[in-house]
Amino acid sequence: MPPAGIWIDGLIQSCAYMTMAFGMVLVFSILGILNWTHGQFYMLGAFVVYYAITAVGIPFPLSLLVAGLLVAGLGMLVKKIIIDNITGELYVGATTMGLIFFFEGAASMVFGMQDKGLAMVLPGVLNLGSFSVSYQKIAVVSFTLVIMIILYIMLNYTKIGLAIRATAQQPDAASLYGVSVERLSLIVMGIGCGLAALAGGIIAPLYTISPFIGGIPMLMSLLAIVIGGIGSLTGAIVGGLILGFINCVLAYNLSYFSEVVLFVLVIIILLVRPQGLFGASLK
Amino acid sequence: MMTYIDYKNVVPKAVIGLVILMVVLVPVITRNESTLSILILSGIWAVAVMGFTLVLRAGQFSLGQAAFMAIGGYTSAILTVQMGWSFWPAFLLAGLVSGIVALLVGMVVLRVGGIYFSIITLALCEVVRIIAQQWESVTRGTRGLITSQPNPINLGFYEINFFASSVPYFYLTIGLVALTGLIFWRIGESRLGRSFAGVALNRVLAEHQGMYLMKYRVIAFTVAGVFTGLAGTLYAHFLTVLTPTMLGLWQSIQIMIMSIVGGIGSLVGGPIIGSVLLYTFGSYLTRLEIYGIQQLLFGAVVVLVLLFLPKGTGLVDLWGRFWTKVVWREKEFEFDEGEE
Repeated sequence: MPPAGIWIDGLIQSCAYMTMAFGMVLVFSILGILNWTHGQFYMLGAFVVYYAITAVGIPFPLSLLVAGLLVAGLGMLVKKIIIDNITGELYVGATTMGLIFFFEGAASMVFGMQDKGLAMVLPGVLNLGSFSVSYQKIAVVSFTLVIMIILYIMLNYTKIGLAIRATAQQPDAASLYGVSVERLSLIVMGIGCGLAALAGGIIAPLYTISPFIGGIPMLMSLLAIVIGGIGSLTGAIVGGLILGFINCVLAYNLSYFSEVVLFVLVIIILLVRPQGLFGASLK
Repeated sequence: MMTYIDYKNVVPKAVIGLVILMVVLVPVITRNESTLSILILSGIWAVAVMGFTLVLRAGQFSLGQAAFMAIGGYTSAILTVQMGWSFWPAFLLAGLVSGIVALLVGMVVLRVGGIYFSIITLALCEVVRIIAQQWESVTRGTRGLITSQPNPINLGFYEINFFASSVPYFYLTIGLVALTGLIFWRIGESRLGRSFAGVALNRVLAEHQGMYLMKYRVIAFTVAGVFTGLAGTLYAHFLTVLTPTMLGLWQSIQIMIMSIVGGIGSLVGGPIIGSVLLYTFGSYLTRLEIYGIQQLLFGAVVVLVLLFLPKGTGLVDLWGRFWTKVVWREKEFEFDEGEE
């Protein structure tokens, strides 16, 4: 059995993947595209938090909010200027992949290539007998829970949530009933990108920050939503938990071999259930 | 009746022929190693991109093409470095191994369609990279295998020396590009190529016409695998070192971008145009000495091309439009879907 710290790290990673995966699921179910630039929004979120704390001196929770709002605005801008003007799933996919290069290049020009570290913004540890957990890690987990609850309430009990669910099922019928699909997809893109930035921001104090940190969380949350079922939030939670724990707990026992296990598991899940664990059947 | 020459058809083809002739004659004009190496590498990418486009023609969106380059490259690198084979049999065997892997993997994986297939191939790509990284006794891990260029061939009257300059390697690459292009062009024109397009455009209709979906997908994937493996071999032996990170997910994405920017409507022209232009552009950008500006401009160009090209059909479509709109000044222009 790996020590408790490893399990907690697994949970932390799952939380980051889940928060990103929620955004991807929302964007996919409304816009019908996979946003490959999601990891770069995560990276930008981390940078905004870093500069808000070190350069401007805003407290951590407020800087998270700033990061979420700024990156959400950027995401909306990307959708309005670029994605709306391109037709075809394939071309949109290629465009968002091109944007990966663009944002990474821009970030390394503006912020520099060196790794940056944010000092613990929430110092102190919680002693739990045989092991201890830092408050930062507790903050990450509770923050993700809060996000989950907010999303749940928003999707199930508000008007916009109803609109999102309706549009995800039947865009044409939803627009007949007075949902402005155009405006809704803009808002959802904003929410999705904002969630990625929040994930980056909340994790930022635990890891180093560089222009290239977006790739692996992006890949992992993509795999998470794909094995969970591409339009399902429950699937995103389960997928995120599976991948986060495999990455940490299995890696403790198997080192590099855990990555092979992870990818082979993904392949097997997709071959057995191509629609994902919680996805609706395609046929 | 007079013989009628359709000059609107012949002249653009003649211009293409002239361009090809010029490319073949590049070593006569300049022996600048950096120009040659850019052309060689973009030729190698062109072959891989053609493979991607063939798989896409059959309706499958593969994000694992770089894995086949890695399999081909590692096969020949291991055979030449660890077992002391000479280059040529290793080169051919690498294509064969890559093709067999593509066949076996494809038979299992290709029945999944759409985005799920992309994710599976993406995972395969990562698995290949991890194996190459960790199987240290064979692949030397992250230190990489030091390959060498083919040994000189003595023809009696003339010695082809691969060590002295890149010119023989340039012709080797051109040969592979030409062979791949010819085969893929023939596939595209043939019944098989039309079947690929049919399977991709309307799967249900194609199946009701008695076309067995998996057969065409596996054929496309295997043919692409063979040539991508050969391209990977050339890549490994040209750069004289092969490390696991050189052919990973990032390179698969690059192949995909080259294909789509070049234009997926054609199996040969689009990939060659896309890879040559993007690779040349990218390698000239690395000379700018500002960190990050290469990626920034590369990404910007990719996005702009996709934003402003007509219907997003890629650069190759500009060729037809240039002749019809600019040169012949025709009012209307019908898009020919599918065939070249």
